[in-house]
Amino acid sequence: MVATLQFRNVSKVYQTATGPIEALRDFDLDVGEGEFISIVGPSGCGKSTLLSMASGLAFPSSGTISVRGEPVTAPVTDLGIVFQTDVLLDWRTIIDNILIQPEMRGLDRNAFRPRALDLMKMVGLEGFEKKFPYELSGGMRQRVSICRALIHEPQLLLMDEPFGALDALTREQMVMELHQIWLETRKSVIFITHDIQEAVLLADRVIVMTPRPGRIAEIIKTDLPHPRRPATMETKRFVSVVAQIRHLFEKHGVLKSY
Amino acid sequence: MVAQTQDETRATTSRRRWWPASLDSTLLGLALVLIWEVGVRVGQVPVYLLPPPSTVLMRIVTDYRLLFMHTIVTVNEVLVGFGLAIAVSIPLAAILAQFRPLERALYPILVASQTIPKVAIAPLIVVWFGFGLFPKVLIAFLICFFPILIDALIGFRSTPKEVIWLARSMGAPRRRIFLNFQLPAALPHIFGGLKVASTLAVVGAVVGEFVASDRGLGYQLIVANGMLDVVLSFAILVVLSVVGILLFALVDLVERLLLPWHISHRSTGQERP
Repeated sequence: MVATLQFRNVSKVYQTATGPIEALRDFDLDVGEGEFISIVGPSGCGKSTLLSMASGLAFPSSGTISVRGEPVTAPVTDLGIVFQTDVLLDWRTIIDNILIQPEMRGLDRNAFRPRALDLMKMVGLEGFEKKFPYELSGGMRQRVSICRALIHEPQLLLMDEPFGALDALTREQMVMELHQIWLETRKSVIFITHDIQEAVLLADRVIVMTPRPGRIAEIIKTDLPHPRRPATMETKRFVSVVAQIRHLFEKHGVLKSY
Repeated sequence: MVAQTQDETRATTSRRRWWPASLDSTLLGLALVLIWEVGVRVGQVPVYLLPPPSTVLMRIVTDYRLLFMHTIVTVNEVLVGFGLAIAVSIPLAAILAQFRPLERALYPILVASQTIPKVAIAPLIVVWFGFGLFPKVLIAFLICFFPILIDALIGFRSTPKEVIWLARSMGAPRRRIFLNFQLPAALPHIFGGLKVASTLAVVGAVVGEFVASDRGLGYQLIVANGMLDVVLSFAILVVLSVVGILLFALVDLVERLLLPWHISHRSTGQERP
């Protein structure tokens, strides 16, 4: 099977005014079709670098990245991106914020309208089509940006700490919603986070990263049954995976051991 | 929940005030005029030094034909100069924002050119371009050009990198990225520049008229001063400031119509549900 997204010995060195900075070293990963991958690591472990390379906006210093077997040489368009900030356009209504995706691709926006409404219904935003972003709460805004990332049915979803700016309660709610969306759509997802629990709860595999230069410390298969529920966090397996990741971070000096 | 937050805000702001905010400045303005009127009359200040506001107002009424004629001339210069500045600055800012090397080369020269006072080069402009409409328009243009350019440039450059990233992941060509992401995001900045420039445009036109002219409010102001007709001078100053205020208000109105989504125009302020 050809992987949706493949990293082969990817390294990235940035040239800065104060000398070269090695952001990523020997990153090697195959993201399978419909697989949910969480990447968890400290700040500066090259997570953002990974995403910008996966979307074809930056290129590795060495190694190769390919999407379904094709090496990436230009911006990848068959993907949806969700950032930590919702990046909604203040001057567009909610539905127009979602429909900008087909619009920018030169597709018929009216043809995507029913699907946009379906997506909004799925994330509980029914009836908010004509509202403007400033009329919505942070969680609702992030839901809109998820709809925007899904409307064109991309094969791959890149999420860069999407819930990092939300309060704890909204965050938990959104994690479960994302899991539901993933179960229904089965996209390949790369989900970047600082939150170990979030990473484990959502993922098939968790990639644990080391501090700069970012390397893979370990790849952990979660092996938790679907669908996952808040109660999943109380299972023995979940607790042991979280503990395992904690130990890895302690070992690499990301977390202090007490 | 939405209604509740709005009610709360309304309650806290409306407890002590039932009048519209614009009334505050109107009342303050009237109070100042009143102090002026009373002060001049009580202190028996001669009219040729400082006329009372009522006398100035009367003069505007009696001389409205003369004032109106000159106002038309000045307003024409202001509008053409301002319009020209908009038409040149915004596209130029857009081009500079797209091509960084060009910006790096041109920007210092533009800044340097701004350090030359427009008032100082006004006589030169008259030497080059004569007495007609054009030199006044040119001075108004030169004075408006810079604030619009700078604010537009800041606006175009302040697009967050995530937005550009997102736009490129949609495979949007550069032109579409500019029109749909960069330009709307820059508009609040651009309007900031337009507001500053709208008041400067009047200054530019009047400076042009000071130097060489046979019509316009600036010309008439020189004439009135020459004849020590202080009342007429004040009348002209009032008309000039009304022209400036109206132009500013026009820009503000267009902004409200174009950017109802922007934070500075939301009726309920910052709050979110």
